[in-house]
Amino acid sequence: MFKYTIKRICYMIITLFAVATITFFLMRSIPGDPLASMARTLPEQTKANYYAKYGLDQPLFTQYLMYMKGLVHFDLGESILYAGRSVTGEIARTSPISGMVGGTALIIGTLIGVVLGIIAALKKNRWPDYIVMFIAILGATIPVFVLASLMQYVFAVKLGWLPASGWGKPSNMVLPVIVMGFGSVATYARYIKSSMLDTLGQDYVLTARAKGLSERAVILKHVLRNSLLPAVTIFSSSVVGVFTGAFVTEKMFSIPGIGFYYVSSINNNDYTMIMGTTVFYAALFIIMQLVVDFAYMILDPRIRVSSGD
Amino acid sequence: MKKRMIALVLSSAMVLSLAACGGGGKTDSKKASSGEKDEEQYINTYMVSEPTTLDPSLRSDTYSSEILISTMEGLIRIEERDGEYKIMPGDAETWEKSDDGKVWTFHIGKDRKWSDGEPVTADQYVYSLQRSADPATGCPNSYFVTPILNYDAISSGEMNPDQLGVKAVDEYTLEITLTNPMPSFLESTDASIFYPQREDIVEKYGDQYGTDADKMVYNGPFTVDEWTHNSSIKLAKNDEYWDKENVDLGAVNYQIISDTSAITNAYDSGQIDFISASSQEDLQKYESDDNNTYTKTSGGNITFQFYNTKDKIFSNKKIREAFTLAVDHDDMNDMGFSGMREPLYGWIAPALTVGEKSLREEAGDPLKDLKSDLDKSGKTPKDILIEGMKELGLGDDPSKLDVTYSLAGTSDWFHTFGEYLQQMYKETLGINLKIDFSEWGIFEDNLTNGKYQIGFMSWGAYYNDPYDMLSVNMTDFNQIYTGWSNEEYDQLSKAGSIEMDETKRMDDYVKAERIFIEDYVTCPLATSVSHQFSKSYVHSKYVDYGEDQLYFAHPGWKNVYTSGR
Repeated sequence: MFKYTIKRICYMIITLFAVATITFFLMRSIPGDPLASMARTLPEQTKANYYAKYGLDQPLFTQYLMYMKGLVHFDLGESILYAGRSVTGEIARTSPISGMVGGTALIIGTLIGVVLGIIAALKKNRWPDYIVMFIAILGATIPVFVLASLMQYVFAVKLGWLPASGWGKPSNMVLPVIVMGFGSVATYARYIKSSMLDTLGQDYVLTARAKGLSERAVILKHVLRNSLLPAVTIFSSSVVGVFTGAFVTEKMFSIPGIGFYYVSSINNNDYTMIMGTTVFYAALFIIMQLVVDFAYMILDPRIRVSSGD
Repeated sequence: MKKRMIALVLSSAMVLSLAACGGGGKTDSKKASSGEKDEEQYINTYMVSEPTTLDPSLRSDTYSSEILISTMEGLIRIEERDGEYKIMPGDAETWEKSDDGKVWTFHIGKDRKWSDGEPVTADQYVYSLQRSADPATGCPNSYFVTPILNYDAISSGEMNPDQLGVKAVDEYTLEITLTNPMPSFLESTDASIFYPQREDIVEKYGDQYGTDADKMVYNGPFTVDEWTHNSSIKLAKNDEYWDKENVDLGAVNYQIISDTSAITNAYDSGQIDFISASSQEDLQKYESDDNNTYTKTSGGNITFQFYNTKDKIFSNKKIREAFTLAVDHDDMNDMGFSGMREPLYGWIAPALTVGEKSLREEAGDPLKDLKSDLDKSGKTPKDILIEGMKELGLGDDPSKLDVTYSLAGTSDWFHTFGEYLQQMYKETLGINLKIDFSEWGIFEDNLTNGKYQIGFMSWGAYYNDPYDMLSVNMTDFNQIYTGWSNEEYDQLSKAGSIEMDETKRMDDYVKAERIFIEDYVTCPLATSVSHQFSKSYVHSKYVDYGEDQLYFAHPGWKNVYTSGR
C-alpha cells in the first residue's frame, strides 16, 4: 500500500512535469510573441525593458528553465495583462470562490440527484420515473447559458426576487447554484437509476429478500451502498468540473471565479496566466484521480486486492 | 478581432457614457421640471471587463480609463457647454502659454487635495510625467508624452528622466516645455497620463501600486472605495475633492458583466441604470420604451479595410481603387454591421475637430466624390480592376485573380461578414475572394511581416486632433502596416500638427487626407456608434442624457444626478 502510494505520487509528478512542458512549448509556438499587442506602441528602450521583465529576451530554453524553476517554487510569474498581479495570487484568490459556488451546487445537486435516481429506479416505468427522467434529459440537454439566462429572466426580471448577477451577497449565490446544480441532478439521477436497477438484479439482493428482510432493509443495506460506487467515479471528475466547467455560469453571473478568469485570460492572450491556470487544472485533476483511486480502495475490497502490490 | 472590436465598441460606449455630461441649459424641459434631485444619489452601472490596473503610468485599456476619469483630477477637464468643448479647470486654476507656443505654465489651486488630505503640488505632476517617460517603467501610453522636450532621448535611454521638459517652478506652478509648438497640447493634457502621482505612495506599494482600491490615492471627484476583482468596483464621493459642492452622486457602483444577455437581464431587472445596445433587436426594444433615454454618440472610432501596398497585386493603385470603389457603404452598413454603425467616406473620424470645426464637414466625403467621378466617366470598378490587371500583366479575367482578405477573428460574426465580402466582390468585381480567419495575435503577426493582401480593422482616436489619426499612416509610424509612404502626406500632416493658425491647419489636414484617400491605401467603411440607454431618472447637469454629445468631453460622473428614481 505504501509502495503503491509512492509510485502513484511519482507518476503524478512526472505527468505534471509533462503537462507543464507541453503547455510551455505550445504557448510559445503560437505565432506572435506574448507581448506583441502590448508592446506594439512602445519606444525601443521601453520595449526592451518590458521583454526583460518577463524574461522574453532570453533564449527559449533558458526561458523554459526559468519557468520550470519558478514552478517548483509555486511561482508562476506575473500576469502580462494585469500589471503587479502574480498568477499564483490570482489562482489563490479566484479558486476558493469557484469552489464555494461549485461545491455548494455539487453537493446539493448530487444529493437531489441521488434521491431522484433512487425514486426513479424503485418506481421504474411509472410516473415518478418518467418525471425524473424528463428532468434528467432536460438537465443534460439544455445549454448552461440558456438555463442561466432563463433563470435571470424569470427570477430577476419578471419576479424581481433575486439579483440577476453579481457577487458578494448570499442572494447572489442562489441562481448560479441552481444552474450549476441542475447538471449534477441530471447526471446523478441517471447514473444512480441505472446502477440501482443493475444492483437490484444481483444475486445477493435475491438472497437478502429470500432471507425475509424487509424491503426497506434490502434497499438501504444492500442495494444503495453498492449502487453508490459508480457515483464515486463521476464525483471526482465533477469536483474538477467545479473549477473548470463553471466558466459559462461564472461569466453569466459575474462570479469572480477561476473559470471566468481562465477564459478571459485566453481572450486577452495573457500567456503567463494561461500557462499558470492550465498547470493548476492539470495538478488538480491528477490529484483528484489519486484521491478517487484511494477512495475506491477503501470502499471496495475487490479493487484493493487487484491494484495493490 | 471581433472580441476586441466589440470590446472597443462597448468600451467606447462606456467612455461615451461619461461624455454624457457637460453643456449648457437643459433643453429637455419635460425632464428638467419632472422633479427634484433624489435624496439618495447613486448610480449602478457596468463595465464588460476588469480594468488592468489603476496605475496611470501603466494602464492602457478603456476600463481603467473610465475609472480614472472619475477618481483622478488632471490639470484640466474637457467638458461640454452649449454644444461646444469647454476646457474647465482641474487641478490647474489658470494656465498660459509662451508666445512661441512651446512653454506652458499651469497654476495649481492651493485647495486641491488628495483623498488622504495631502495637498496636490506641482512636483507630483513632474514626478508622474518623469515616471511615465522613464523606459524602466514601461508605460504603454508614453505616446502622449512625446511632444514634451527631451522625451525621445529619455525613451531611448540616452538621457535621464529628470531631464524631461517638466519643472515645478514652485509648489503650485508647473511648467511644461515642448519640443515643438503643439496647438492641441492643452486638450491632450486631459489624458490619464497627465494625472499627478505621489512618489511616497508609488514607492510604498511598488509593483502593487494601483492593483487594489487601497493601493492608490485619488484626487478626483470620487475615490475607489472597493474593488472586488472581476466582479465589482464601488466609487464613493471624495470629501477632499476641491469641487465637491458640485458633485451630486454619493456612490457609483460598477458591476463587471461580460455576457450580453446577462447585461440585458441586469438592465431589465433594474440592477443597472445603463446599457449599451449591441443589436438591432435590443435597440428597437429599448427605443420603444419610454422609461429609457436613448443617447446616441458617434464618431470617435472608424472601421476600415486596408491594402498591403508591398503586395504584388495591391502595389497597383488601380486595383486598390477598384476594391475601394466597389464597396457600397450603405449596403455594407446594413448587411455587414446590422445598421448599428454609420457609413464613413473619409479617413478622419467625424468627431475630430480643428478648433470648433469638424474636419469631416470641411473635407466632405472624398470617397463619395471619387465614386461619382467614376460613375460620370462611365466606367465600373470592374473596368478599373481589369485595367490594373493588364498593367501588371495578369490578364483580364478577374475570376482568376488570387486575392485573400484577412479577418482578425474566428467567431460567427466574422464568418458572416466574410461571406458578405465574398458575395459583394463576386458581384461587383467578379472576383473569387478568399477569406482568412485568424486570431488577433496571428493576424497582427502577419501584418507586421507583410503577409497579407487586404485586412480589416478598427481604429480609435485618442484625442481631438486629426493629426492623431493621420500620423498612423506616416512613413515613420506605418501603424497599420500598409507599407505606404508619401512625402507630401508626411509633410502636410506634420505641418498641420504644429500650425497655430486654425484655418491653415485645417487646410493642411484636409489636403493630407485627400492624398491618402486618393491613393486608395485604405477604404474607410464606417464609424462606430454607441447606442446607449439609461433609465429616465438619470440626468446630467449640462448636457442631459438623450441630447447630442461631443465625443471628446470627459467629465466622468462629476455632473450626473438622479431625479425620480
